[in-house]
Amino acid sequence: MKKNIEYDPITLEIIQSSLQATADEMFASIRKTAMSSIIYEVLDMGTGIMDAEGEIAASGAGIPAFIGVLDKAVKVILQKYNKPGDIQEGDVFMTNDPYYGGVTHLNDIVLAMPVFSNGKLIAWTADIAHNSDVGGMAPGSLTGDATEIFQEGIRLPAVKVISQGETIQSVMDILIVNSRMPDTIYGDVWAQIAAVRIGAKRLQELAKKYGADVFERAMIEFMDFGEKASRRELSKLTNGVFELSEEQDDGSFYNVKITISDDLFTVDLRDNPKQLSSPVNSTKDGVMIAAQMIFKSMTDPYSPCNGGSFRPIELITEPGTVFDAQEPAPLGFYYEVELRVYDLMWRCLAKFMPERLSAGHFASVCGTFIGGTHPDTGRQYTIVEAQVGGWGGRNGADGNNAMFCGFHGETYNCPAEINEARNGLWVDQMSLNTEPGGEGKYSGGRGIVMDYRIRAEDGYLTAGYTRSKFPAWSLDGGNEGSSNYVEYLPLKGKSERFAFVSGLTLSKNDVIRVVTGNGGGLGDPKSRSQELIKEDLKNELITPEVAREVYGMMDA
Amino acid sequence: MKKSTIRVATDVGGTFTDLVCFETNIKSGQHSVITAKSDTTPPDFETGVLNVLEKGNVNPSEIDFLAHGTTVIINSLTERKGVKVGLITTKGFRDSLEIARGNRPDFFNLHYQKPVPFVPRYLRRELSGRMSYQGEESEPLDMSPLPNILDDFKSEGVEAVAICFLHSYANFAHEEIVMKEIKQLWPEVSVVASHQITREWREYERTSTAVLSAYVQPAAEKYLRQLASGLSEKGFKGSPYIMQSNCGVDSLESVSRIPITMVESGPASGFWGAAELGKLINEPNVIALDIGGTTAKCSLIENGKVKIMTNYWIERDEKSAGYPIMVPVVDLVEIGNGGGSIAWVDEFDKLHVGPQSAGAIPGPASYGKGGEEATTTDANIELGRINKDYFCGGSIKADMKSAKSSLEKVGKGLGISPTEAARGIIRIANNNMINALKLVSLNRGFDPRDFVLVAFGGGGGMHAVALAQELGVKKVVIPAAASVFSAWGMMMSDLRRDYFITHLADLVEGAGTDIESAFSEVESQAISQFKLEGIKETNIKFMRYGNFRYKNQEHTTEVPLSSGSITDQQIVEIGRVFHETYEHEYTYRLDMPVELVGIHVVATSEVGKLEMKEMPSSGATEEEARKGEREVDYALEGSHNATLYDGEKLKPGMEFIGPAIIEDSGSTTVVHPENKVYIDGYSNIHIEL
Repeated sequence: MKKNIEYDPITLEIIQSSLQATADEMFASIRKTAMSSIIYEVLDMGTGIMDAEGEIAASGAGIPAFIGVLDKAVKVILQKYNKPGDIQEGDVFMTNDPYYGGVTHLNDIVLAMPVFSNGKLIAWTADIAHNSDVGGMAPGSLTGDATEIFQEGIRLPAVKVISQGETIQSVMDILIVNSRMPDTIYGDVWAQIAAVRIGAKRLQELAKKYGADVFERAMIEFMDFGEKASRRELSKLTNGVFELSEEQDDGSFYNVKITISDDLFTVDLRDNPKQLSSPVNSTKDGVMIAAQMIFKSMTDPYSPCNGGSFRPIELITEPGTVFDAQEPAPLGFYYEVELRVYDLMWRCLAKFMPERLSAGHFASVCGTFIGGTHPDTGRQYTIVEAQVGGWGGRNGADGNNAMFCGFHGETYNCPAEINEARNGLWVDQMSLNTEPGGEGKYSGGRGIVMDYRIRAEDGYLTAGYTRSKFPAWSLDGGNEGSSNYVEYLPLKGKSERFAFVSGLTLSKNDVIRVVTGNGGGLGDPKSRSQELIKEDLKNELITPEVAREVYGMMDA
Repeated sequence: MKKSTIRVATDVGGTFTDLVCFETNIKSGQHSVITAKSDTTPPDFETGVLNVLEKGNVNPSEIDFLAHGTTVIINSLTERKGVKVGLITTKGFRDSLEIARGNRPDFFNLHYQKPVPFVPRYLRRELSGRMSYQGEESEPLDMSPLPNILDDFKSEGVEAVAICFLHSYANFAHEEIVMKEIKQLWPEVSVVASHQITREWREYERTSTAVLSAYVQPAAEKYLRQLASGLSEKGFKGSPYIMQSNCGVDSLESVSRIPITMVESGPASGFWGAAELGKLINEPNVIALDIGGTTAKCSLIENGKVKIMTNYWIERDEKSAGYPIMVPVVDLVEIGNGGGSIAWVDEFDKLHVGPQSAGAIPGPASYGKGGEEATTTDANIELGRINKDYFCGGSIKADMKSAKSSLEKVGKGLGISPTEAARGIIRIANNNMINALKLVSLNRGFDPRDFVLVAFGGGGGMHAVALAQELGVKKVVIPAAASVFSAWGMMMSDLRRDYFITHLADLVEGAGTDIESAFSEVESQAISQFKLEGIKETNIKFMRYGNFRYKNQEHTTEVPLSSGSITDQQIVEIGRVFHETYEHEYTYRLDMPVELVGIHVVATSEVGKLEMKEMPSSGATEEEARKGEREVDYALEGSHNATLYDGEKLKPGMEFIGPAIIEDSGSTTVVHPENKVYIDGYSNIHIEL
């Protein structure tokens, strides 16, 4: 291989490791200072360092789904502010609108800061975080009832919020006044601003120390390295054209065609339903992230993840479909759409690549939003949380119990003790889901059953779960997993089961039961080892009937 | 009359049991130091301790103060050598231990394996009964299923029972009742309840803590009992003090009750040593760095105070969520970079150092024991930083041929010479350590320029100056006897207990009484416990800290509180200090209500630690310690002819200027060109950059 004689490779490597350390530092900073539990516990946020053109060089993330978001935002800012002097040292930009580089939904605010060295733009630092309420028609801003993006909150179409170090108070005021939780959004946005500033400072120090040209060279090489790592693994994947059509909970069909060659991973999503007037749509950028996530998992999960890693991906969509929604389609639940595409691609390839891909998992964020009055403090509380569920059986091992879905990663559930204190309700149980489903030679992991008992009048529940009708898919003769759903168990009256529900009124002592699915099984249950079946029985994860009838155990 | 005071530190490691004995002449204040090493003898660890005392010719009957450290606890956890545990928990929560927090750090790996719980589901049992977050009983405890549960545990071979109920941090009455009842019904079994170890919220973390504690309890109790009886049979008249993870020692009786607190005691003694050294030399702001064979660890000491936290995990890294243990542990960052760390080139021609280590066998290539991989040590020897003719204090003949060929292999992958490869290895290893040092300093709002770097362990002196240059640190201090510095730290320790208790209160006018009563309750409990152990109230010192945050935040910032009762006047002052501390760490402050989330009380009592005496300048000049010259490659600063000094001959008052190398049998210190060196009255080496 030809060596670069101009630049010392060790210096470049030291800069690259500092880029990663900087992205991680920005991440840790937001985590510690954020006001919303969805940021500091769920870690629904990401940080990143982009080069001057907006290509992502390094990222710190709690969520794989937030790795490829920030480059898209910075590119939109560069397009919009394209006149000399538009972008100055000390500026900070803000966007949350998926039609203006925001990628996801209006709750996710991106802050981005240009980094200068001797007057020249050399890089960007940026971060994204889910803010608890950005206005719109419903508390928490997310609602299944939205028919246009205007109902989902304030739109920030890539605007400047800090100019040369001075806060543009008018812009900040507009944002704050539009939120039902002004203190929280103010605290969270400042946590985000502090992080991009810390990152920018670190990058400036690096450029000063090693020289801006060496710094820029290190970024370029780092991305080329990411690309090399991806291409090397891509060339090892089975070549071919893979297609899948899958029925969704709402009765529509999603279709994917993946073409794998030695140097290109093409995802064709053109043949898909028209965009909806409900918020179950995604932008093309959002779907691209799903493709990037599955591609990264299939190729090289451990090499640095940057713009270079994703260069071999080609995505084709049809504008106006659910996967390439156009203004003003609402996008609140975009993440469920993103997950559906991610899972669709995974399923489409799993049986051809069992050493890289397991059976299906519960595959839904299971976004659950509960609000009301804290009975002891009288203050309003809002729970915005994702749920853990069961993962699929894999070659040689059972699936994991109770983990966040593939969209999430270093995400933490909320301890019952904190939940009860902060939100003033009871958590009556937090158990593994022992419903049947997911049996196999290697069984799917267990979802959970969690009961919230409401302690005050006039609460509300909003939820959006997918894989409620069609549970986690199995492989090689295993059984399908079980469903994700939320159950309303009122003190008086009939219980109801939901996949999507918006603004259901809750009264004192009503119970909200969250049930997440078991993962899909892998292989014929009859070939499961007797040892493991006995263990399942002893652990009360299966009944003697299931042991006998599904697993064919003789002496159960 | 006695002429000297004898203080001993013994340390049981995985392979060796070490002894360091300080004999202090009462009249002159001068110390003489004896070290000895013996094999560790599982499962009867006390045998190794008695052996090493004999080997060092230390008569137990003459010992005045004995401190003891051990890795037995952490090893029994990571090697899964504990007992079968049964868990009793609140109805509806038996799966909490297995659900854990649901996180997946290795997030692109779709074959991630979640950590397997230490207690399987069939041994996790529930009782009805509920406390609220405010510590009020909302449902009475139903004990009726307990006898059946215990029968099941017996028949399954359970040897220890852990109890953890929801909100027991706020009210542990239910845990206490169940614990008493188990002791009645099944006196032989070992029982631990979560509130005995931690009074902080988060049920998964507290359950995990109770379970891991129960897991090691029977073996640890036996170990400590036998240690005490073995020592007293040999004539030791005192009671040994046991090193804790919180940088203090505690009595053997107290540690026997909750031995899990020893889990991270190894690094704690070195960091405590650094804090004490800082106070001694009037440099209370210290970044402490301990470089060993496989890892480097660092910690920041501000104004003489080590930071103690309770968010400790075992087996946690970027590929595993690990297991939490909520005990007071010194705040440290550890990376897989030490003298034995292996350098390797990946398939994309990138050079890495660590985290794999060549270990003791085969060790670095230059050991000549069959190691073929280049390590940091091999790079140091190639560059002349380590003396090839005085390798490991002259105990090993350096195999320069193997070192060279191992470096050639690395250089080949990068298209560079072995010497350039060696420079690259040093630079990458240094950069890894710099990132770790930044995590404890810059990333927490501390400017390294306000600190001195105290470096110890076998490799501390080798890298310290280069790291200090990079961080902007103005002074490096290499302690006298850097290689046995941890033992010194143990002998400088006080008896120390840290109490962390979750206590929610808004920081507003009128809150003073409530907050004060939370503190005084903990303190009076601590006093009565100390009294039971024969320690006078007047000998106990308390420090108070509060963990605060802006309302609705999750993470807290710890603020030291002034001594004396908390009154309403002080609330305003506490708020001011919180805003200031917060802004210091995060660069901004908010105009928002502040709340107290938890209190932290530190109780200490002196129990006979070493007293250091400053020696006057000897009048000897540096020439007396010179032993020659050597060509040394300083990587970024090129090659220089460095003066060699014999570390054992350095005397208080000596001064010289780099480039230089200081060698003694246990460590090498690399002094860069133009560094100013002087030896202080305690024989510590000060290097000014």
